[in-house]
Amino acid sequence: MQSHDELEPTVRIREVKRDRVNFVLENVDLAFANSFRRVMMADIPTVAIDMVEIEINTTVLPDEFIAHRLGMIPLVSSNCEEAIRYTRDCTCLAGCPFCSVRLNLNVSCHDSHTLDITSEHLELIPPNDRGQWDGEQEENTDGDELTKRPANFGQPVGKNEPGAPPVLICKIRKGQELKVKCYAKKGIAKEHAKWSPCSAVAFEYDPYNKLRHTTYWFETDKRAEWPVGDNGKEEEPPREDEAFDYMAKPNKFYVEVETDGSLGPQEVVMRGLAELQAKLANLILGLKPQPEVDHAEQHANGVSHEGGWANPAGGAGAGAGWGGGGGGGGASTWGGNEASSSPTGWQSTSPSGGASSYGGATVASGGWGSPAAQASGWSL
Amino acid sequence: MNAPNRFELFVLEDGEKPIEIIEDTKIPNAATIKIVKQDHTLGNMLRAQLLSMPQILFAGYKVPHPLEPYFVIKIQTDGTITPQAILEQACNKLISTLASLESKFNREFSFKDIESGNTGATAGAGNDPYGTGAANAGGAWSQGRDYLDF
Ligand SMILES: [Zn+2]
Repeated sequence: MQSHDELEPTVRIREVKRDRVNFVLENVDLAFANSFRRVMMADIPTVAIDMVEIEINTTVLPDEFIAHRLGMIPLVSSNCEEAIRYTRDCTCLAGCPFCSVRLNLNVSCHDSHTLDITSEHLELIPPNDRGQWDGEQEENTDGDELTKRPANFGQPVGKNEPGAPPVLICKIRKGQELKVKCYAKKGIAKEHAKWSPCSAVAFEYDPYNKLRHTTYWFETDKRAEWPVGDNGKEEEPPREDEAFDYMAKPNKFYVEVETDGSLGPQEVVMRGLAELQAKLANLILGLKPQPEVDHAEQHANGVSHEGGWANPAGGAGAGAGWGGGGGGGGASTWGGNEASSSPTGWQSTSPSGGASSYGGATVASGGWGSPAAQASGWSL
Repeated sequence: MNAPNRFELFVLEDGEKPIEIIEDTKIPNAATIKIVKQDHTLGNMLRAQLLSMPQILFAGYKVPHPLEPYFVIKIQTDGTITPQAILEQACNKLISTLASLESKFNREFSFKDIESGNTGATAGAGNDPYGTGAANAGGAWSQGRDYLDF
């Protein structure tokens, strides 16, 4: 049994900046802290350019190169939970103002200097009063998403802000031109890393390696070659003659969440906690024997009416967070969103099978299965 | 070309059941529970929570294949409670832990807002937006360097 079993988890924020937060998490176990880290990296929705219609491209970069670069640009995604829906849950065919954000890029170079096309040139196209985009096929959709958007929702992060270097998309010379229609969609980083709100999450525990979870490679002097980091100041250095405590468990975690600006650090942390709760809540719902009813309805009703499990241990009244979240299972699945389905000028920003730096590999092999290589294949 | 949609990794298909319970016929008070469209994030957290509960004799999880988006969790209890019930308890315990952390984070964030004279969403002065440092803001960029120089 964990020695910290009865202790309440605590958190201490050491620093908050506009794009990062540094905190110390205590009295939780490693698995919990790690799941929290994973959920912040991979499960929080943001918006990112996902469909690109190239009208003119006389630059040196090929269409799919530019489409990919556009996809990686962080866009302001505050309140993504309410402000936009997934296109797969929307009633429209391939995208409408309720499930996407439109951005235009139209730059040409007329003088003899090299011109940088950057995220500053991306221009947000807001829907008209009827919630439609001018000059496009009208979609018969309805919802309150548009009212929940902050003014700069979907705008490239840092646009028009002094001191914020823009993202370079392409360089063009005299006579070259790039004209592109972009559609940003809501998604999560499990689908493509471009949707991750985090650019990095630092995660450390046991700075003195008292638990011997790692072995240091060294040439001559282990101490000199592996200096203890700043987090060492938070803990007692081991005494020279200290015996190895093989029952000890990690208990104190040093985390720094750095965002790409699409969401603020506070929103990332709070959405992360809410998202984990939503996962657990859906599991509880799934465990309850349920008659065959429409799935979406189950979610909606189950959460709001049962309420029994909302806050079992009377944990401070924050339980509400996950209520509306998650959900959204049932609605008609929406196919053919990938570039492959339309042979025309469409480029998906994520060439399937391509650069997914994230998805399976990094996350899954995180090694945290714990003593993973147990013969049985079970992580105990 | 014929790659499955990436969102099939985490979105239940129409009518797909999120959970399947396979009771163990050879071991008393044991069950294997298959949880669909979830991964290590949920699996490992549940496993750790279950192991900290006194009624548990065994708890382990695995993702049998990295391309198949589900995990199975095997639970054996001491007989005072069914595996399903203890799994539900574990979820409840985790939810309340998360809820209490949520309120603690809220408190901490509100203290930090006051410290730095920040009023929520508006970007406060005390902040250093892109880590460039006020004096250096735009410095490197205005000198005609580009991203390759960094
Ligand atoms: Zn739509």
